[in-house]
Amino acid sequence: MTAITVPDSSTAPTGQPWTCPFCPLSCDGYRISAGEGPALVDSDCPRAAAALSHFGASASSAMPRHDGRPADHASAIAAAAAILAGSRQPIFGGLATDVAGMRALYRLADASGAILDHANGGALMHSTRALQDRGVFYTTLAEIRNRADLVVCLGTNAVDHYPEFFRRTAPAAGAPARQVVFVGAAADRATPGLDGCTTQEIPFVGDVFDTAALLAARVAGRGTAMSDPALDALAARMQAARYTVIVWESGSLPEHGALVAETIQRIVNTLNRTTRAAAFCLGGGDGGYTANQVTTWLSGLPLRTGVHARGLVHEPQRYAADRLVADRAVDALLWVSSFGPDLVPPTSDLPLVLLGHPDLQAALDDRPDTIFIPVSTPGIGSAGHLFRADGGIVVPLTPIYADTLPTVAQVADDIGRALAERRRTEQGGAR
Amino acid sequence: MSTIRLRGGRVYDPANGVDGEVRDIGMRDGRIVDLHPAERVDRDYDVSGRVVMAGGIDMHTHIGGGKVNLARMLLPEDHRANRAPENPLELASSGCCTPGTLATGYRYAEMGYTAAFEPAMAISNARHAHMEMGDTPILDHGAYVMLGNDELFLQMLAERQDFQRIRDYVGWTIKATRAMGVKVVNPGGISAFKFNQRKLDVDEDHAHWRVTPREVVQVLARAVHELGVPQPLHIHASNLGVPGNIESTLATIAALDGLPGHLTHVQFHSYGNEGARKFSSAARQLAEVVKAHPNVSIDVGQIIFGQTVTASGDTMRQHANADLGSPRKWIGADIECDAGCGVVPFRYREQSYVNALQWAIGLELFLLMDDPWRVVLTTDHPNGGPFTSYPHLIRLLMDKSFRDEQLAKLHPDVAATAELREIRRELSLYDIAIMTRAAPAQLLGLADRGQLGIGAAADIAVYRDDADRETMFTAPEYVFKDGELVARRGRIEATPVGGTHFLEPEYDRGIERELARYSAEHLSTSWRHAEIGRDELCSCANGGRLLPCRLHGRGGRT
Repeated sequence: MTAITVPDSSTAPTGQPWTCPFCPLSCDGYRISAGEGPALVDSDCPRAAAALSHFGASASSAMPRHDGRPADHASAIAAAAAILAGSRQPIFGGLATDVAGMRALYRLADASGAILDHANGGALMHSTRALQDRGVFYTTLAEIRNRADLVVCLGTNAVDHYPEFFRRTAPAAGAPARQVVFVGAAADRATPGLDGCTTQEIPFVGDVFDTAALLAARVAGRGTAMSDPALDALAARMQAARYTVIVWESGSLPEHGALVAETIQRIVNTLNRTTRAAAFCLGGGDGGYTANQVTTWLSGLPLRTGVHARGLVHEPQRYAADRLVADRAVDALLWVSSFGPDLVPPTSDLPLVLLGHPDLQAALDDRPDTIFIPVSTPGIGSAGHLFRADGGIVVPLTPIYADTLPTVAQVADDIGRALAERRRTEQGGAR
Repeated sequence: MSTIRLRGGRVYDPANGVDGEVRDIGMRDGRIVDLHPAERVDRDYDVSGRVVMAGGIDMHTHIGGGKVNLARMLLPEDHRANRAPENPLELASSGCCTPGTLATGYRYAEMGYTAAFEPAMAISNARHAHMEMGDTPILDHGAYVMLGNDELFLQMLAERQDFQRIRDYVGWTIKATRAMGVKVVNPGGISAFKFNQRKLDVDEDHAHWRVTPREVVQVLARAVHELGVPQPLHIHASNLGVPGNIESTLATIAALDGLPGHLTHVQFHSYGNEGARKFSSAARQLAEVVKAHPNVSIDVGQIIFGQTVTASGDTMRQHANADLGSPRKWIGADIECDAGCGVVPFRYREQSYVNALQWAIGLELFLLMDDPWRVVLTTDHPNGGPFTSYPHLIRLLMDKSFRDEQLAKLHPDVAATAELREIRRELSLYDIAIMTRAAPAQLLGLADRGQLGIGAAADIAVYRDDADRETMFTAPEYVFKDGELVARRGRIEATPVGGTHFLEPEYDRGIERELARYSAEHLSTSWRHAEIGRDELCSCANGGRLLPCRLHGRGGRT
């Protein structure tokens, strides 16, 4: 697990302050050193280490490719515009980009009538749909640091996927004593940030749905057919706590995870009638929250929205990219994965425009009908902004080297210009 | 750049005392200029018989930032009914209560508005707020940063730290967040709710910090004044929506002790507790006190019947109101030890006694105040109703018979007894030009906006004169932004990116060392990200122009 690295001042490797773009905690308190390749100095975060291993000490010189053959930027842009122009219903998937990238992709979606979904769209919809149906009461990292005396991690130990969570939320000076209860999960007590907290593990009663429902009923004081002493005790502690935070992880929930999110909201609402409580959802990575926020403010609707000729259509269930691609309900795919090579597009033989990390080329082999345009990674090769897991906090990203690759925003704008130019020419020809 | 002449329009320009005089207006390079009648121009518009005003300015409208986007997410039903824009200049954007930023810009510009200001920017949400405003096309914009519920301010107050230090902190906050003013929301109450306090009167102690809203208002109003912030402290007073809250509102005015203060959406703060329902209008009471306090200005926050969504930083009051919401769902948040947020959908109904009386109270406030320079026309968009209802609201204010018609449709007890029935006043075009242009510009310290004098920004709306003022104000003949035609008869003609107004007050930078220490000990973002630089503001705000505001004379100097 994540043993904390305390730099010894005499031998500490030096580094520059850095903001990590690879997880929605957006840690900006650790330094990065540039040796063979970039490495975190003050944190052993395995998620950051894995992501950083895909970058060298300096910028990549990757070239765009058209059906596996090297192409120059202009011809790759023109070919991408041709794919969108020839598509009756394109989808933009992945959407792993920053604010500027998403702003430009929305303009391009408007110009090409595309449907927008994120690589983690399913998990994103657990929280979005629960919010649309019931609402949410949430809290943020600094509030947890200063206020939480009870943290209940429901179905997650947080650190498997968000390794720095407990260090980022560790009690601040003067904060109340804290108990952390893992329900249906287990965490290493040596996890940085958990020192100083008391911890407890409680197994699920049934599955996560049953457990959440039972806890909601107990917190509301309702009798239930099933009963569990540990959960009953937890419900009582939540009612007695001054500020309970229920931590959950949208990406680890099964199908219909929105029901768990709704139940958590019910628990929080019940608690807030007498004491204070809030939820914290671990999710929105790979630019997921960023894409959702930007799409929502520009269009008025969140992701899984199509910018169709008949108007905007929001379909949180139907507009899942992988299913639309598998069903061939769309006829072209533009996939964006600027943070690394791991988010690969769904397998298909649809015409594909891929804006991604240079190493994604390897995943394509010689796939036909494919335009690959390597792009800069925000926070590595270019500046940018990302939304953090707690919603409204936007962190600025600064590059660690000057990139030779274009940003997603530049590429999307270039494709948009090429598309407009094609249409002007076609209209001129028609006349 | 091009030269434009608007020939023969009837000009309403209260900032320069012009009340319906027929005159020409010249524009060059985005500014209003004095053109010789014989001078050749690139474009000549015959606007004889038309009404010419400066572009509208909405000084209190929730158009950008976290809670607005949450409101959009909460109500997909408000956004699903939409059509693709027929105009190729428009990108797809939907919604009535809280439209997307794109639609917000288009719809405001079509009504003749050229600037809109977000009044409730959380410190930790500043980048997001600037991003949304930057993506609101055509309109210039700016934001007021929320203070008075941040734990650091309350702690400094509780520890009786030197006023100068608190003032320095306020100055730093304005500069760091690129704000153009300061707002306080339910002074101390948002923080108190985090400590499980459910009510906070003006002279009641915050459960944890043991300071009162009165102290918060006093110190903030003084800090804002001494820093030279042109705009008075923007105040969302205690006890929003609570019957009898007129007492809190009057106590808040008293707390200002003569310092400038702007009480916002006062309709929600002018309730008595008389009558069988213990809910009554205190509009006259408030109007009389405001008349007697020239340091105080107000905006109304008129309610409009129909569906809307309320989005506020006032978690304490929004939590209390959540059970009254329709549809029954809501969003709340405790945010980064500096703010909160509550989003509750509301449907204002004509047959509800409470809603009908709220409607009457709002109109009474407009009509009972004798000085239009201290009353700004707002619906507190979207809280009282969407900004697109402004033309309807203007007609209500200008047309007594129309007002009576509407009143007659309401809950019978309100229709029969509201003081509004007796108020004969009908506002003039000159009054409307003050309340929607000149007064907000003056209150915000925007010397070259909201007016048509030589040298002012060429933000201009030209209306066809129509006895039906709602029709007239819905789709002006021409709207110019910085001298560029941006809308014509309700159709967008150009979509420039608007500029950002912001302030850079002077303060003793020694305070930053303490702020850095506090940040490391209590907050969750690195201190190096605490301030938004000018370049970063530009990229957040979508590359729009940066419009630094001028400070008042004594700004930053003691």
